Amino acid sequence: MASEIWTEKYRPKKFIEMAGQEDVVKRVEALTKSLNIPHLLLAGPAGTGKSTLALIVVKELFGDTWRDNYLELNASDERGIQIVRDKVKNFARTKSLGNIPFKIIFLDEADALTPEAQQALRRTMENYSSTCRFIMSCNYSSKIIDPIQSRCAIFRFKLLEKKDIEKVLRRIADSESLILNPEAIDTLYEGSEGDCRRSVNLLQSTAAVSPSITNELVSTILSEAKPKDIKVVLEYALSGDFKNSREKLLDVMLKQSVSGQDVIKAIQKEIWNLPIEPEIKVKLTEKTGEAEFRIVEGSDPFIQLQSLIASFVLAGMGK
Amino acid sequence: MKPWTEKYRPKKFEEIKGNEEIVKKINDFLENFPNKKKAILLGGPPGVGKTTIVHVFANELDKEIFELNASDLRNKDKLNEILKPALQQKSLLKDDKIILIDEVDGISGSDRGGIPELIRLIKETNYPLIATANDTWNKKLSPLRKESLVVELKNSKEKDTRDLLINILKEENKFLKMEILNQIIENAKGDLRAAINDLQILSHLEKPEESIVDERNKEESIFNVLKEVFQEKADNKMLGLFDKVGMPFDEIILWIEENIPNVYSGEELVKAYQRLAKVDLFKGRIYKQQYWRFMVYENIFLSYGISASKQEAKSGFFRYQKPERILKIWLNNQKTAKRKTIAEKYAKMVHVGIKRVMYEWPEIKNILKNPLIQKELKLDEDEISYLKRS
Repeated sequence: MASEIWTEKYRPKKFIEMAGQEDVVKRVEALTKSLNIPHLLLAGPAGTGKSTLALIVVKELFGDTWRDNYLELNASDERGIQIVRDKVKNFARTKSLGNIPFKIIFLDEADALTPEAQQALRRTMENYSSTCRFIMSCNYSSKIIDPIQSRCAIFRFKLLEKKDIEKVLRRIADSESLILNPEAIDTLYEGSEGDCRRSVNLLQSTAAVSPSITNELVSTILSEAKPKDIKVVLEYALSGDFKNSREKLLDVMLKQSVSGQDVIKAIQKEIWNLPIEPEIKVKLTEKTGEAEFRIVEGSDPFIQLQSLIASFVLAGMGK
Repeated sequence: MKPWTEKYRPKKFEEIKGNEEIVKKINDFLENFPNKKKAILLGGPPGVGKTTIVHVFANELDKEIFELNASDLRNKDKLNEILKPALQQKSLLKDDKIILIDEVDGISGSDRGGIPELIRLIKETNYPLIATANDTWNKKLSPLRKESLVVELKNSKEKDTRDLLINILKEENKFLKMEILNQIIENAKGDLRAAINDLQILSHLEKPEESIVDERNKEESIFNVLKEVFQEKADNKMLGLFDKVGMPFDEIILWIEENIPNVYSGEELVKAYQRLAKVDLFKGRIYKQQYWRFMVYENIFLSYGISASKQEAKSGFFRYQKPERILKIWLNNQKTAKRKTIAEKYAKMVHVGIKRVMYEWPEIKNILKNPLIQKELKLDEDEISYLKRS
């Protein structure tokens, strides 16, 4: 039964259906046809096809039995490397079914693991190298320790171009009988920041309201999402209203499950859009960097962020 | 002049009130010594009379007490040197003796080596050994618990406390108003030592009403402390201010965090938050490096530092609020619990991380309102009705 979730329903099932990433696809396809793949490291931004490519590889290799030979883990959701290792151990204990002499473990968001955890993972990879192949995905390959990188064939995924995403959206619109106007495509593309999965989700979310997808409708759906809220936090602070700024900050972090680091990222970007003097922009960026450093080092994100938005209050007074 | 707690310490069995059963238990133990177990672990909150009971037994049974405290257990050598001879030699003056180890749970982490040694000595002893502890369930005492008869003293009942205090007042020819006596009993919460101490101090004051108010308002004192820090000019005495609040330091941090914007604004506010952020920074460093001296900086920044963020003292009325953040986090977790179970099912289906789904929830939730998709994800009724509401 085909899924009603469009990101699944329209997920490419063959190499040829992949959007963009032509070079990567060609090379991975060649490896897969040889029936013997090394460990793979897929690096690139979210929604560019890493998981999709991994799934295609697995289905090409194992055909109908792919589910028995495939384990998917998400490093950012698993509680600790020990859990990851246990799951791998359990899965790798039994031999693969069929002709292929190995099973495949897909470790998504591998860069969420600390370097120490990656070291532990490296040993696990070695222990099971005769029965398992790892496919790992990450946003930045630099966050993966060298010993793991050197054991993998690395493939770099580029951000999808607008034409690639447009093609995907149009195909879905045709098949689902939607009226998709060109401006709406622009908004979907910009709103999803080149993340194909998000653009499809946005399309389906909009289509749930009306089959006629207009620019305005997409914008309304988008406005429920976050970066705008961070802007509100900063606007309150700049106007000197610390209390509301603080309240909104806590609200964003709790209700939308936004981590301290995500907030910092949004603030750092937003500084460039604020109506303040160049000198102050630099100062605030410095403070933002310091706050990010502290949060990464394990401080209480909310306290550090409050201190940071207090600096914006000062900036609002021209200081 | 002896402190009343010494002067009125019970010397006879009949003076011990409210713990008759325990007395019988200990008596049986001592009479039948040596038993299967050669030690008693005597537990109970502070000031209920743990040490006193041991002394009463020594007195009534005409035994000598050989007393050790936890720090004597610090190391094997010392223990062997002091305790071992005592365990095996006969008492010089009296026929018999009791070995008392007071506050055995006061043994700190680094002194822990003493416990196994103590247990070895219990096995060798010719005399009964009694160890007292506030918390007999403390993990580090579990080996000792196995070797001992565990006996728990209960808090003194209100009536017994009252009778005792009234007796003392009679003996001393002092008079206290009933409401003050009641307040002493209430504050003591069964701790007789605290009650007698309070009684002695208050019965010597001319206006006991004034000092008892402080005690009663212990809970309120966080508000007074906040007022002092935020409104008065920074002063060296602020460094000791937080010691007076019966509240963990981390909780005080939350109170300060909540109330900065209620009193400060502009540059003061910025300075205060920067210092609060420093407090948090040192807190993290303590946690990571286990270097507790950093507490000094935490305390200075949080008290004097926050106070010195302003130019001048602030008169007038400010509303201080209870910290709300923890409550909000808790409430939010309750609210998002359903969202999380839905996100887990969805994440698995579409091969993405749960955290990402939670983050993109506003875009995704509309999709999940489709009944076909709800069926596909096998959402349960609760989850479906959660989606209807969101």
